[in-house]
Amino acid sequence: MLHDMTRRRFLGSAAAAGIAGTMTGFARSAAAGSGNLTAVEWGGDVVEAMKQIAADQNAATFNWVLHQGGAGAILPKIKAVWPNVDYDYVAGWEGSFNSMVKEDWLETINPADVPNLANIPEKIIIRDGKGNIKAVPRAVGGMYFGARTDTAPIAVKTIDDLLSPDLKGAICWPGPTQSMMLQIVALALHAGGSETNMEPGWKLMTELAKSGNIGRVAVTDIDFTNSLTSGETSVGFFAEPGWAAVAKNFPVTRFTKDSNFKAFLYQSGFGVLKNRPNTKATLDFVNFAISPDMNSLYAKVAGEAPLNSKAVTPDNLKHLSFTSDEFSSFVYVPDYNAVLEQQDAWSKRWEQDIAPLL
Amino acid sequence: MTKVRRQPVAISIPDRRDAALTLGPALLVFAFGFLSPLINLAIESLKEFTPGRVGSVENAAATVQNYYELANQAFASVLLTTFWIGGVAAIIGQLVAFPLAYFIVRRISPRMRTLTLGFLITLVLSSVLIKTYAIELTFGSVGIFRPFLLTLGLFPNSREYINIVVIAGLVHSIIPVATLTLIGAMQSIDPRLLDAAQSLGAPGWKAHLSITLPLSFPALVSSTLVSLTFAISAFVIPMVLGRGRVLFMSNVIYTRFSDIANYPSGAAISLVMLAVALAVVAVITFAQARRVSR
Repeated sequence: MLHDMTRRRFLGSAAAAGIAGTMTGFARSAAAGSGNLTAVEWGGDVVEAMKQIAADQNAATFNWVLHQGGAGAILPKIKAVWPNVDYDYVAGWEGSFNSMVKEDWLETINPADVPNLANIPEKIIIRDGKGNIKAVPRAVGGMYFGARTDTAPIAVKTIDDLLSPDLKGAICWPGPTQSMMLQIVALALHAGGSETNMEPGWKLMTELAKSGNIGRVAVTDIDFTNSLTSGETSVGFFAEPGWAAVAKNFPVTRFTKDSNFKAFLYQSGFGVLKNRPNTKATLDFVNFAISPDMNSLYAKVAGEAPLNSKAVTPDNLKHLSFTSDEFSSFVYVPDYNAVLEQQDAWSKRWEQDIAPLL
Repeated sequence: MTKVRRQPVAISIPDRRDAALTLGPALLVFAFGFLSPLINLAIESLKEFTPGRVGSVENAAATVQNYYELANQAFASVLLTTFWIGGVAAIIGQLVAFPLAYFIVRRISPRMRTLTLGFLITLVLSSVLIKTYAIELTFGSVGIFRPFLLTLGLFPNSREYINIVVIAGLVHSIIPVATLTLIGAMQSIDPRLLDAAQSLGAPGWKAHLSITLPLSFPALVSSTLVSLTFAISAFVIPMVLGRGRVLFMSNVIYTRFSDIANYPSGAAISLVMLAVALAVVAVITFAQARRVSR
């Protein structure tokens, strides 16, 4: 067939292909504008919850993209193509949202466009320096110490127990880019410091690294889940979805209401990106997803406590439900901007002082 | 023995046109796909990073701080770990691949040779992730060999043991590539040379050391370089098998770019890594060229 190809036929074919390509592009743009949304979500139970929520409405269809690594890993991908971003919303938390606000990537949310925002606690909503709402919270998760009760060599009662020789190789410690290094802030708090005075935390971290008790440094949430479920390690610090995955099959003790430990709460929510043709459809979906029923569904499936005051908190999330007194005793809310701005320095400190000891 | 000197050969205009036509597409791809990103990387590495931002900000000040801060013991330690683990894996890979290539070329039937080659190519093309997790499930801290390792006195959580598992993972990927590289060289060695040496009374091992090894040496050097380059640039293998405790340069570069979004620092580390890797390859290539010219 190829030898029959004349220049005229070739040009004709090329023109036809060009028209077809353009039409496909138009069709894709039309589809994009008609409520076909691209959403970046967490894997596992979280995306499963969002798929169930999406199935309960007809206004939008979804291309699901999953986070790979920490929440910050999506930022370079957006930066690389900005302002032609491909995502309509990105699920994230304070860590990633504060970066996005600084880069001015997020749409300002008008409360009139998301009426269900009225049922979300005001103080948890992320705003920019001018007071504009920049993300829509949907649930609360926790990052905290815990242990797999059936395999832990000793009953851990305080952070000092992490240095016990009985825990040789039994601790799964988050990598330097996990949880915004709140695990080291937790050590600092225990030793009298804070996120702005980290030296006591680094001193304790050095002792922990030297002890030989850290059997695995988890660089992804799956690393953590695999390590705990396989029995490789028994004690750790991680976010709620990781602990929930382990707790599905094994007994887990969560130190969220223990005065010897501090739990960190974070909001999981939606950041709606600028420069997209589907802003209205995205906001409509976000509003639907935080409605009382859908927020209850999300909590049940994803394992994060709902933020809509009219939603139902499942019994298995009681460890994340705090009274005012409990909140002040067990929960620590760090200055996330201070934490964010020190990530680079802390990561280098980990490489220099801690990694060689592991 | 007189040396044979290579005489410069004049290239005619049609030859040059042919060279341009044949090399052109590759040069074009190289320029766009490799050189331009490399230039971008070099520019990025000279920019100041503002903590909390994603990459360098617009109109960031020029600085060499990103290179300066690499002059510390921790960075040298990561570089050393990358090269010693990668180097050991590359050498072990050759020690296994060399006799294996000889066996495939000289000792098995053509039908079995075809099957073996197919198997090796399948190993090269199969997912590194699958192979890596297979090793983790076998030799990892909860792998099926755990009881055996404990009886040998190997504590699966020790740093030494983790290093061994990372080396095993790299060797596992190196062997098929190295074997395929060496098979070509083995095929080009005339088997009658070995037969002649042995018929004149040389023991088998001596015949191999004086004939097979020297004649395949250039291929062995090439195979070692390919293996070393693969090993020092490995990302998944040290990440999974190293349990977050073995840091390779590639892991540090990934962290800088992807997790803390410090592009300038990531770019500086990438370029230093590239320079060191090129220097090592250049030294080995130069030494080999000198050996050949003697």
